[in-house]
Amino acid sequence: MPALSILIWVPAACGLLGALLSGVPRSASGLRRTLPATFALIGSLAAFGLAIGYIVEYKTGSQASTVTQTLHHVTNVTWIASLGIHYKLGIDGLNVLLIGMSTLVFATAILASVARSGEPLERPGLYYLFLMIAESAVLGAFLAQDLALFVAFFDLMLIPFYFLTGMWGRGERRQRIGATIKLVIYTLVGSLLMLAAAIATGVLAAQQHGTHLNFALSALQTLRLSKGSQEWIFIFFAAAFLVKMPAFPLHGWMPDGYRAMPIEVLMIFSGVLSKVGAYGFLAIVLPLFPQASVHFQMLMLLIALASILYGSAIAFRQTDARLIAGYSSIAQLGFITLGIFSLQQQGAEGALLQMVNHGLVVAPLLFIVLLLSRRTGGSEDIRDMGGVAFRAPVLATIFLIVALATLAMPGSANFVGEFLILLGVFKAKLAIAIIGFAGVVAASVYALRLFIRSMHNRKGAKVDSHDISWRDGIVLVPLVAAILFLALYPQPALKRSERSTSAAVAEAQVFDAKTIASVQGSGWTSYKPIADQKTGPSR
Amino acid sequence: MSIGWYLAVSAIVFTLGAVGVMVRRNPLVVLLCLELMLNGANLSLIAFARMWGGGGGQIFAIVVMTVAACEVCIGLGMIVAIYRSRLPVNVDELRDLHG
Amino acid sequence: MTQGTFGWLVLAFPLAGMLTIALGFRRLEALPARTAGWIGTGAIFLSFLAALGALLEMQGHAPSHRAAVDCLWNYAVGSGIDARMSILVDPLSVFMILVVSGISTLIHLYSISYLDGDRGYKRYFAYLNFFVFSMLLLVLASNFLLLIVGWAFVGAASYLLISFWYRRQTATKAGIKAFVINVVGDVGLVLGTYFILKHTGTLEFLGSFHAAHHGAFGPGTDKGDLVAGCILLLVGAFAKSAQIPLHTWLPDAMEGPTPVSALIHAATMVTAGVYLIARMHPLFELAPAAQDVGAAVGAITLLIAGTIGLAQTDIKRVIAYSTMSQIGYMIMGVSVGAYAAGMFHLMTHAFFKALLFMAAGSVIGAMGGEQSIEKMKGFRKAMPFTYACFIIGGLALSGIPPFSGFFSKDEILLVTGERGGWHWILYGVGYLGAFLTALYTWRMIFRVFHGEPCPEARELEEGHLHHAEQPFNPADGEIEDTDVGFPGPNHTVAERAWPMRVAMSLLALGAFGAGLIQIPEVDSVVTSFLQPSFAGSHLYTVHTRDGLLIAGLIGGTLIGLVGIAIAYRIWVKRPGTAKLWQELFGGSLYTLFVNKWFFDEGIDALIVRPAAAFGDFARDAFERLFVQDTLIGGTSGIVRAGSALVRSIQSGLLRYYAAMLVLGVAAVGLYLLLQS
Repeated sequence: MPALSILIWVPAACGLLGALLSGVPRSASGLRRTLPATFALIGSLAAFGLAIGYIVEYKTGSQASTVTQTLHHVTNVTWIASLGIHYKLGIDGLNVLLIGMSTLVFATAILASVARSGEPLERPGLYYLFLMIAESAVLGAFLAQDLALFVAFFDLMLIPFYFLTGMWGRGERRQRIGATIKLVIYTLVGSLLMLAAAIATGVLAAQQHGTHLNFALSALQTLRLSKGSQEWIFIFFAAAFLVKMPAFPLHGWMPDGYRAMPIEVLMIFSGVLSKVGAYGFLAIVLPLFPQASVHFQMLMLLIALASILYGSAIAFRQTDARLIAGYSSIAQLGFITLGIFSLQQQGAEGALLQMVNHGLVVAPLLFIVLLLSRRTGGSEDIRDMGGVAFRAPVLATIFLIVALATLAMPGSANFVGEFLILLGVFKAKLAIAIIGFAGVVAASVYALRLFIRSMHNRKGAKVDSHDISWRDGIVLVPLVAAILFLALYPQPALKRSERSTSAAVAEAQVFDAKTIASVQGSGWTSYKPIADQKTGPSR
Repeated sequence: MSIGWYLAVSAIVFTLGAVGVMVRRNPLVVLLCLELMLNGANLSLIAFARMWGGGGGQIFAIVVMTVAACEVCIGLGMIVAIYRSRLPVNVDELRDLHG
Repeated sequence: MTQGTFGWLVLAFPLAGMLTIALGFRRLEALPARTAGWIGTGAIFLSFLAALGALLEMQGHAPSHRAAVDCLWNYAVGSGIDARMSILVDPLSVFMILVVSGISTLIHLYSISYLDGDRGYKRYFAYLNFFVFSMLLLVLASNFLLLIVGWAFVGAASYLLISFWYRRQTATKAGIKAFVINVVGDVGLVLGTYFILKHTGTLEFLGSFHAAHHGAFGPGTDKGDLVAGCILLLVGAFAKSAQIPLHTWLPDAMEGPTPVSALIHAATMVTAGVYLIARMHPLFELAPAAQDVGAAVGAITLLIAGTIGLAQTDIKRVIAYSTMSQIGYMIMGVSVGAYAAGMFHLMTHAFFKALLFMAAGSVIGAMGGEQSIEKMKGFRKAMPFTYACFIIGGLALSGIPPFSGFFSKDEILLVTGERGGWHWILYGVGYLGAFLTALYTWRMIFRVFHGEPCPEARELEEGHLHHAEQPFNPADGEIEDTDVGFPGPNHTVAERAWPMRVAMSLLALGAFGAGLIQIPEVDSVVTSFLQPSFAGSHLYTVHTRDGLLIAGLIGGTLIGLVGIAIAYRIWVKRPGTAKLWQELFGGSLYTLFVNKWFFDEGIDALIVRPAAAFGDFARDAFERLFVQDTLIGGTSGIVRAGSALVRSIQSGLLRYYAAMLVLGVAAVGLYLLLQS
């Protein structure tokens, strides 16, 4: 497989090429319109192809045990030597699935932008350039194995969305700008805190151990900070990641931001960017600050629980379809946080699977909201919808699959994710798991409510139903195919992430006295892994 | 002659230019006053060069003159453009860059 | 072929049927209208044949080797769980797949005619096949995860079919209610699984039973975690089997098409809870406390549902409450250890209850979609075949020998009595329930079929089928939306459609004769067939005392007959007695029954409204005041004020800028001068 840098920079390069070529004067106006889209499509599909290649090739289980290092395809170049910053990239079990999901969502979002009907896109060259820069930044953040590099990519992600929301957003200019500013202020404050924390991590690690500055994650992991420093740095990182997810009560930018973004961009923002925050917890916070993670475990679990209950309750009463998706994301990300801070391998693994699932589910859900609004005279309010299912059986079926996956119906990969998450929490804190289950029930209420109010019941006043066109179909089909594949066969995903997730929580578990007691005590039977046998016990 | 006289003249010329920039509203006059300020500065540069006997100050003065020439070109060009597009010839009314 | 292969075939046929109808729906437009129905029926029939194959294959083995696990692929193995795509084919699951696929075939056949002409014909059969697939998955699953998958799939299929006529708001409301309550059950199941997994370390049924048997939970019985796990499993069973207090969805589920009520909400899905308890018997036997909870809830349900059935006027709801009550018997039975009797009652109940629903569907067809028994009268002459079916179903339900319900119900009560102690209370409640059953069943039959014929019955007698002028939803009087179909666009009655007649005749045969395979002291086919699945159970084989047996047989018969006689007296001999009694015994009891003991209102006030109020508060007050104004308003306010300050300096006046510059330079110069 080619080096990871190619995967990261192919999208940005394609976007730039498209923008430059379309800017050449006197090129035909039709070409000017299609060139950027074509290049963006090529770039995103190439990235998706590469990502699939990495996933397929990723060694699992017994094959991997012969390989000593967990990081594959490492690129390691010293970037700023005096500061100990490296351009270090690598694939492990934590990010291999996420890059697959991200590139797929990006590709479908670009397809959705291409397939968009109605008035043509303004300044397409710039639009696709920003999307592709965002893709590069996201992939970079996932693949970065150096703290400073991660922070750089994390901040780079924000810039394209500032312009995408401000320039191509919906609604009145004033509202749009207001929403953009809110979004930027919130995430920027988080980013700055994280920048400070990242610098402090490197500097303090060097000071406390008397070594040279080094920001590589593998190096920082061996140079453990003192408990006091870990704690305040943890809070800074947590703030940045929680804003990005978003989690209650740091979700203030979400409603306006969601309303203002064009839905193709929102597919990415909600599907992919929120996962970077959760990924940060798993890949950076838990391994680097294990003591602080144990210290703040209860706080984080409570925040997660509050997000679940609060997000569900609002989604349950909300009438704006895309905000239902938005608040449901708060609840879903709450589950992911819950899994990560169970500090159990099952919880972390479930959280990782759920990140992939949520991206795959929320992107088509938002796109369906767009399709619905096209059938209800432009309104996204579920009170104006109703009765769309008749004359649109294909759309209804796809929507049903997506809605059932959203509510983590058993038989979907989302259920496997939630099962593992809650199993992890169940092992760690029984009471929190039981309250968390309320979120499972609530999810069924708001997901089905959205489905019924839009597809079933009496026809709304302005509803003009028709089935989806093939242009919309090619956006939805890949995502639904991915949902169905993982639903039938989640095993490959679990196998790929098993080792890395257990490594991610291993450090924290060392400091979690309760875990040790519970494993050794009467509670959990230590699980004896059953080898890859295909038959059950009595055949 | 002591250097003081040269510097006094230079300061007077510079101040005249500066006050002109601040009080006049016609862009053409503002441009002239800018030239005045530059030449005031040039005068002190030459005076110092003469005092130290070095060439650096003179070279600087020549550079400033070149820059001034360029600046006048652009400035006059802009004024002509303003006339052509029938905008008011008054710097106070050309304030599109206010926050 | 091994029995495992047969098991997979049983699953494959309905799935293939569903996919064929769903994916080929545009092609099917060109074919005759009923093609989709025949494809669906054929698929289920093939599944039934495969189930028979599994049965024959299994019976070829020695009793101790009749359980087989067959795995296709690893579903989610690792991280402490071992969920495989594997099925368990043993006598218990074979018994279930035979009942499910057999009854389903007949109900599909019935539906071919009943749904004829409906706009959603193809969708209906796709859903119905999906349901059968899910139900078979549920009973064949060999591990907890797959069981939960099947469990949730049947819930989803049930939801889809309840809100099949989705333009009716009553139907979509009932659908979401059923789904959400079933999710509550799923949650119970998942949590229960956690408690069991915690100690046994495996999700496989056989593995965890083995571990539990060998003391994974510690020595002795009634260990805390095991009891918690079993009670949580019971929560799942209660939600699915409509036991109190999670039963409120079942009566509302009658919004679905009548064959759906027959299949899902009477014969198969709602009995899943019974199957679950029977399947988990090794765990439940180690947790007698949980067994007692199950038995008590079953007994309470059978009594309360019986009383509500007495006061309902919607023909389908009366049968629905009867279903609840009968499942109460089954839950009670399998909870006290009467596994064979419980499963046997499950089978006979499937026959006679499906029959009653189908006959009710025929009556509803004759009424043009109307379901209230207040308006039905004297259908005896107009619909002799339907009447006969009702009589057979009614006799079986009331437990009159030699109809099937007699043997199965009395065997449950017999075993309950054998257990002694506080089980005598259950025994008494069971017979009280039997009396109520006879009463409400025959109330319905007498009111619908006897007396002076109503106009619709007259029309039918003259050979004309009644059609409503303008179809409307009887529940809320809304005019039907003809786009997506509505109950009985063509109003088919059994007398005029041979597929319905065939299906009902076969079921009537079962309702009449199925009891003969398990007569106490004569033959016990079910008991000996299921024996291998319950090999480790110490409650399975019961030695009955002869006295109790005879007392039960005679007493049960008498109670049923008395119930019928009283019903005859009240509703045929002296119409008006019911009214009189209502006044005599005060409105309070009647109000309680008519309003279904206020369960709906209670759940609404306790759970639904507070949740909605919290949502409203969070959305309107908290989100707006705190998050938007304080948090956002605060941060963006600071930024805004700062930017306003800086902006006011940027006046755009060139001369100002120049002055600033000069002043600035002067200030710097002055500073340098003062410094030096």
